[in-house]
Amino acid sequence: MKADVVIIGGGHNGLVTAALLARGGLKPLVLERRDVLGGAAVTEEFHPGFRASTVAHVLGPLRASVVEDLDLKNRGLGFVEAEPRVFAPLPDGGGVALWGDAGKTAFELRKLSPPDADRYPEFHRSLSAIAAYLSRLLTLTPPDIDRPLKGPILPWLGLGMGFRGLGREDAQRLLRWGPMAVADFATEWFSTDVMRAIVCGRGIHGLFGGPWSAGTTANLLLQAASADGNGAGSTVQLVGGLGSLAGALTAAARQHGAEIRTSAAVERIAVKDGRVTGVVLAGGEEIAARAVVSGADPKRTFLDLLDPAVLDPDDVRRLRNYRQQGMASKVNLALDSLPPFRGDVSPDLLRGRIHVGPDVDDLERAFDDAKYGGLSKKPYLEATIPTLWDSTLAPAGQHVMSVYVQFTPYALREGSWETRRDEVGDAALRTLETYAPGISRRVVARQVLTPLDLERTYGLTGGHPMHGEMALDQLFLARPLLGWGRYRGPLPGLYMCGAGTHPGGGVTGGPGANAAREILADLK
Amino acid sequence: MSKTYDAIVIGGGHNGLTHAAYLARAGRKVLVLERRPVLGGAAVTEEVFPGFKYSVCSYVVSLLRPEIIRELDLPRHGLEILPLDGTFTPMPNGDYLWRMSDHARTRREIYRHSPLDAEAYDEYSKAMADMARFVKPILSMVPPDPMSFDVPGFSRLFAMGRRFQRLSRTDQHNILQLMTMSAVDLLDQWFETDVLKATMSASGIIGTFLGVRSPGTAYVLLHHYMGEIDGVFRSWGFSRGGTGAISMAIAAAAQEAGVEVRTAASIERIKVKDGRTTGVVLEGGEEIDAPVVSSSVDPHRTFLKMVEPGVLEADFLSEVRRYKLRGSSGKVNLALDGLPEFTAMPGPGPHLRGAISISPSVDYMERAYDQAKYGEFSTHPYIDMVIPSLTDPSVAPPGKHILSCFVQYAPYKLREGTWDEKRDAFGDAVVNTIAQYAPNIKKLILHRQVLTPLDLEREFGLTEGNIFQGELSLEQLFFLRPVPGWARYRTPIRGLYMCGSATHPGGGIMGAPGRISALELIKDWKKGKVA
Repeated sequence: MKADVVIIGGGHNGLVTAALLARGGLKPLVLERRDVLGGAAVTEEFHPGFRASTVAHVLGPLRASVVEDLDLKNRGLGFVEAEPRVFAPLPDGGGVALWGDAGKTAFELRKLSPPDADRYPEFHRSLSAIAAYLSRLLTLTPPDIDRPLKGPILPWLGLGMGFRGLGREDAQRLLRWGPMAVADFATEWFSTDVMRAIVCGRGIHGLFGGPWSAGTTANLLLQAASADGNGAGSTVQLVGGLGSLAGALTAAARQHGAEIRTSAAVERIAVKDGRVTGVVLAGGEEIAARAVVSGADPKRTFLDLLDPAVLDPDDVRRLRNYRQQGMASKVNLALDSLPPFRGDVSPDLLRGRIHVGPDVDDLERAFDDAKYGGLSKKPYLEATIPTLWDSTLAPAGQHVMSVYVQFTPYALREGSWETRRDEVGDAALRTLETYAPGISRRVVARQVLTPLDLERTYGLTGGHPMHGEMALDQLFLARPLLGWGRYRGPLPGLYMCGAGTHPGGGVTGGPGANAAREILADLK
Repeated sequence: MSKTYDAIVIGGGHNGLTHAAYLARAGRKVLVLERRPVLGGAAVTEEVFPGFKYSVCSYVVSLLRPEIIRELDLPRHGLEILPLDGTFTPMPNGDYLWRMSDHARTRREIYRHSPLDAEAYDEYSKAMADMARFVKPILSMVPPDPMSFDVPGFSRLFAMGRRFQRLSRTDQHNILQLMTMSAVDLLDQWFETDVLKATMSASGIIGTFLGVRSPGTAYVLLHHYMGEIDGVFRSWGFSRGGTGAISMAIAAAAQEAGVEVRTAASIERIKVKDGRTTGVVLEGGEEIDAPVVSSSVDPHRTFLKMVEPGVLEADFLSEVRRYKLRGSSGKVNLALDGLPEFTAMPGPGPHLRGAISISPSVDYMERAYDQAKYGEFSTHPYIDMVIPSLTDPSVAPPGKHILSCFVQYAPYKLREGTWDEKRDAFGDAVVNTIAQYAPNIKKLILHRQVLTPLDLEREFGLTEGNIFQGELSLEQLFFLRPVPGWARYRTPIRGLYMCGSATHPGGGIMGAPGRISALELIKDWKKGKVA
């Protein structure tokens, strides 16, 4: 069999690349190992009658140009911008809600802390301005380190002007914040434990680091940049779960002429005379192609699918050292009724992200456990209850609670994830009991996905949800490796389009879109 | 006082003295004012107990810039560096790791722990030397200001960029990692032996409030690698007569060039009129006039204590307040009746002539940090010890010895109690920790001096007890040190300059901030920007 371009992996980035390549006139073929599309952005039935976004549960959100270019708005996607965006319950009842409207948030914060209420609008403004600036960086292909002046120079000049346009204060903040520990960043802004902890939660999300780890502010800024920069963060979800996205992307890709096959596991990438010539499927089927684009993570792509002998030994060493240890698990709960949050919390407050971890020290201690290869006794949780606005996911009156659990390190010092899976579910429920006593009795069923499950079932090497640490040395032109930051692999005909490339993880379609632009430039 | 000066230097530490020496050599009339009765700041030798001359704070030297030694002709003024041979790390299981200056012997020793690591050690040493060589020019560079059209600054940066491009991909990769990663993540890539990684990662945390697994510590590791004595990278030494002898040599060079020095002269405030400085007022009210004042003390002390409120803009002051000092270490100086005997290698021997490091495992180091994060001192701290009296007998009476212990972590801000209450408990924790490896230590102690971060602040004027006058974390380095927009040794007050460790390139007995700031000030004089 022959194809124009083979795309390995039908995750959301692979599908975005496929749809955009097809739209650009190529004939891509997507090969997905599983029988469902979407990768980590997937809706699955985890208990009869209960469906959830089993892995990722909030959109990045999607890059606006992707939505527009692929006409996703007209493909039946129901975007839900839940309000409040975040709710952080407190152990003795009640909690703090942050809304999309900064004025409303500041007004409500006044009850908690007048100084924090005073600071919030400026926090929101400054973060929005910096995020708007950084978002321009996310759409660019990182420069070629050997020839930085090659290629279009205008966007870079624009970026330089934009930096000055930020004004002295915000520009200095951007430079200073990047390498900072998010705990320092949060302390500069807010005085209450819970406000600091909410900010810190965003900094450590998906990272093998605690609030006191340097560079965690950069993680927060990147998230803010791929969203609207709102002080409350972003909470965009989809009716039908994130799997709906795969449906819409598939429709777009097919309409433009892409072919998509599921249950088609690529076993290796074929190389001849130093050039990628196609792929070989499990079972032996060979597919020749002009180009192979991998949506899989860098370790899987280069160390598993490719024969490392074709690579420079130095590159192999660098790849082995690419940091990709997963730190999070997912616990999906089927509930017979809503969780009873202390202090008569109105269900209206639970529609967005629920941040559990009310002070910075708790988050840091959760990380301490992971440093020594243990799972957090009191993990940081981010939960959503999509059934509050989407009745299609559970039987009437019943609910789904999707709980992201951090830290659960992939490499355990004692025992294995096979035998310790239940500990994650128990730790999550024990933690939730503090805020919603009695929640355990409402659990009809639970699904626990450990880092090992994320690796085995969803193909995330090391169980890393972002295809590798979003650390300063693994970002931008160094993602995944310095010299490989332009979506092109080290062999002619090999490309990357997954979260292991700039701008990294999250359900944004950003890497897929950037990669498609580069591939079209090479192949057309 | 009728005498007038071209410049007054606040603080007679090694940076203040270096700064003054360069100004005087440019033909200026300079006065150095030191609060304490002795010169040297944290690079000081004091006879705390009769016969025992302690290098009270800073205790080893490596980073002192060779150009300063050369230009100020310090050997002629009495500077003599004695070699410090290697690092000995005893382990709880009775084994040890002993790295020596002799590369071949170190390699054999590492081979004993892991043949793979012995091989990696060669490559690692070479890679680090390459990195240090690349980064070194930054140490003598005035940071550019990214917020303005600073042509010379950018052309220097551009030249750096060109040099970066010419490196091999592997070297580029290494530099990127060094600038951002944690020391342990970096070392994990090279080595498998836990104790080797632990003891090497220690250089990455010295003087910071970070753990060996905290991103950013790889840079501090490199910072300590850039030391150079007689052209040899990564070599460390003692100064004969203690660390204070370095300051005395610089002071002698300064005085020869005409600098006046006054000790026991504490600054009450810096005089400012119409946005420019006019001199200083001493405690007691004496006023000394000068059109230029250079402060070698940290920015909190300079701008928040010495400049009257209302003079500086609120925005600048809030940036200054954000500058993190956060002391994390203490010092315990012991006078001993004999030599400590380590279980891992009993008897006297060359292993006692180098540094002795209590850093038995990466987890040990990280757990020491965990306690500090929550506001306690480490009950099992990282300790870096030296016995200078073995190399330089002049610092202790015959047959007696000095054990100088740098101890981390000791957070300035304790969650419970005060340092005055906990000083002895801290000293006990240090002695008990050493006793686990050298059980005879307790019987040998004649005198014990314990310096907590609070003592470093009170005695030596190091705010919050930070030995580098501010953390060496990425957001406080280069053009961000000490505050964004003011990294070029100048301040919002005309005629007021900064010349201490809180400016680029930071702390350690390096002298670079004092020298570069002096050269900048001399440029301003030539251009007529200051009187």
